[in-house]
Amino acid sequence: MNSVISVKNLVKVYDKVVRALNGISLEVQEGEIFGLLGPNGAGKTTLVRILTTQIPPTGGEAFILGKNIIEEADKVRELIGYVPQEISVMTDLTGYENMLFYSKLYDVPSSERKRRIENALNLVGLLDKANVVVKNYSGGMMRRLEIAQAIINYPKILFLDEPTIGLDPSGRKAIWSYLSQLMEEHEMTILMTTHYMDEADMVTDRLAIINFGKIVAVGTPSELKKSTKLESVTIVSKLHSNEVKKILSSLPFVKQVYDEEDGKGVTAYVENAEEAVVEIISLLKENSVNVESLSMNKPTLDDVFLAYAGTKLEETTSALEARKIRRTMQRMR
Amino acid sequence: MLTNYVEKVLAMLEVEVRRIMHDRTELYTRAVQPILWIGVFAPVMEKLRVVPIPNVTYMEFITPGVLVQSITFVSIFYGLTVIWERDLGVLNKLLVAPVSRSALVIGKALSAGVRGIFQSLIIILLAELLGVRIILNPFYLLLAAFLVVMFCAAFASLSIFIASLLKTRERFMGIGQAITMPLFFASNAIYPIALMPNWLKAVATVNPLSYAVEGLRALMITGDLATVPLDFLVSFIFVAITIVIASQTFNRIIE
Ligand SMILES: Nc1ncnc2c1ncn2[C@@H]1O[C@H](COP(=O)(O)OP(=O)(O)OP(=O)(O)O)[C@@H](O)[C@H]1O
Ligand SMILES: [Mg+2]
Repeated sequence: MNSVISVKNLVKVYDKVVRALNGISLEVQEGEIFGLLGPNGAGKTTLVRILTTQIPPTGGEAFILGKNIIEEADKVRELIGYVPQEISVMTDLTGYENMLFYSKLYDVPSSERKRRIENALNLVGLLDKANVVVKNYSGGMMRRLEIAQAIINYPKILFLDEPTIGLDPSGRKAIWSYLSQLMEEHEMTILMTTHYMDEADMVTDRLAIINFGKIVAVGTPSELKKSTKLESVTIVSKLHSNEVKKILSSLPFVKQVYDEEDGKGVTAYVENAEEAVVEIISLLKENSVNVESLSMNKPTLDDVFLAYAGTKLEETTSALEARKIRRTMQRMR
Repeated sequence: MLTNYVEKVLAMLEVEVRRIMHDRTELYTRAVQPILWIGVFAPVMEKLRVVPIPNVTYMEFITPGVLVQSITFVSIFYGLTVIWERDLGVLNKLLVAPVSRSALVIGKALSAGVRGIFQSLIIILLAELLGVRIILNPFYLLLAAFLVVMFCAAFASLSIFIASLLKTRERFMGIGQAITMPLFFASNAIYPIALMPNWLKAVATVNPLSYAVEGLRALMITGDLATVPLDFLVSFIFVAITIVIASQTFNRIIE
């Protein structure tokens, strides 16, 4: 496996006091979609801005395709594409004019410009809106235009900072279907940040959970979920819950048993719910317990976040996020 | 290498031209104030007979001054647009593109020059309609345009430097007026330096605005080019220094 992004012990301190990154190390492999998941202020944007050569780190080093991001910033810039967290299109120009400007900045040969621009606009479904002034685009269309811009130089690595923030589910889905099509056409690695759990779960090959400027866990979504060891089996029966608990506790692989909050049923925490459920059923049968219902629960990334960061991501972000989305939308006007 | 540099600066200028084409109202609203100076203030002041140059009316005398005041105002807000573009993310994207920082600063500075040229054309056209006789010598006009571009680029760079110190839009807002108005009144824009008290004379002689006005007045109104080499020299030094400073501090806007 080839590591295309290599980050070693990166530290960033803003204004001598704000420790936004506190020793980050990670490796991103060629061709994968790597996610950075974390709450507001975790340092996601800071990391992306350092890797895209906008700001220097306070300490540590990083390499993009073997190029040092500080000493060889010029070379790095030719290899990457970038969509910032903020909506960054020039709203007073048309979509085509936006594309034309970036194709020139990225040294697309003049003979190829028109074709490449049209291809990119077509890919994100904006070809018919090419000559409309961007002010009149929807938020999702602006995002798609930004993605089209970011791929004009066929980058090897694409950095996406919260690519779907503020979009409704159908808008988010559209962005990802365009991106996956893109990845089929060009060999590309994506590093993205998000704080949408479901999105991180669905689209990333691997992800890092980042909190207070530190990476607290790295792995594929399923590895991370497994690592929390929070799978469980919930049994509802007529028998008194203490009896059920006693029976379940006798199984070696059951780690803990709890009463459900509503008093209906007992939950047993296990490492692998699918394997456990078979033995649980047979044991309950042996003890002639009349099972009314039985369910298996898999951990979500929420549980992962809870396990590693000690807080629930949704709780810490929802209010702030709403404010941020509003801010982003205001800026677009 | 150099052609690549120039191409990228040109790409930025093209964007500015396209912006102006998409929305021309700003050019027109910014022409209102100069026209009030030329069309209302000047005819009244005419009676004071302060103009020392033969065959030049007061209206003609202040036209280059008012023009320079107007383009100063246009340029001094480029730093604000840079802050604005940073808040939007446009600037972040420029910084990630394979373009050198100095090309970005020069691109921004010359964009101000492009807008300054358009603004000047409108003011000159309206001044003509009001009865100002402009020297229609293409060579003179070309030199005048060159002076306008240098001057705008210098003020835009100065503005980018100020933006790198202030960093937020709110803090920047008042600065435009606070810089341009004193420079305007402490120059030869609307009265000859000879009429000023000594302390103001001293200020006016080191004020780059005076040299832009003097040069434009020579090229557009009097046709007496004696001072023009000095005016160009001062403007060139002014723009060179401000561009270098702006390039050095540009990165701090994003931090
Ligand atoms: N330019 C700056 N100057 C000073 N502090 C900053 C700056 N940018 C970010 N910070 C601080 O650094 C920390 C990390 O911010 P960062 O924007 O990287 O987080 P994030 O994970 O991207 O958050 P979000 O989800 O809100 O985008 C925060 O405490 C933030 O306030
Ligand atoms: Mg962020």
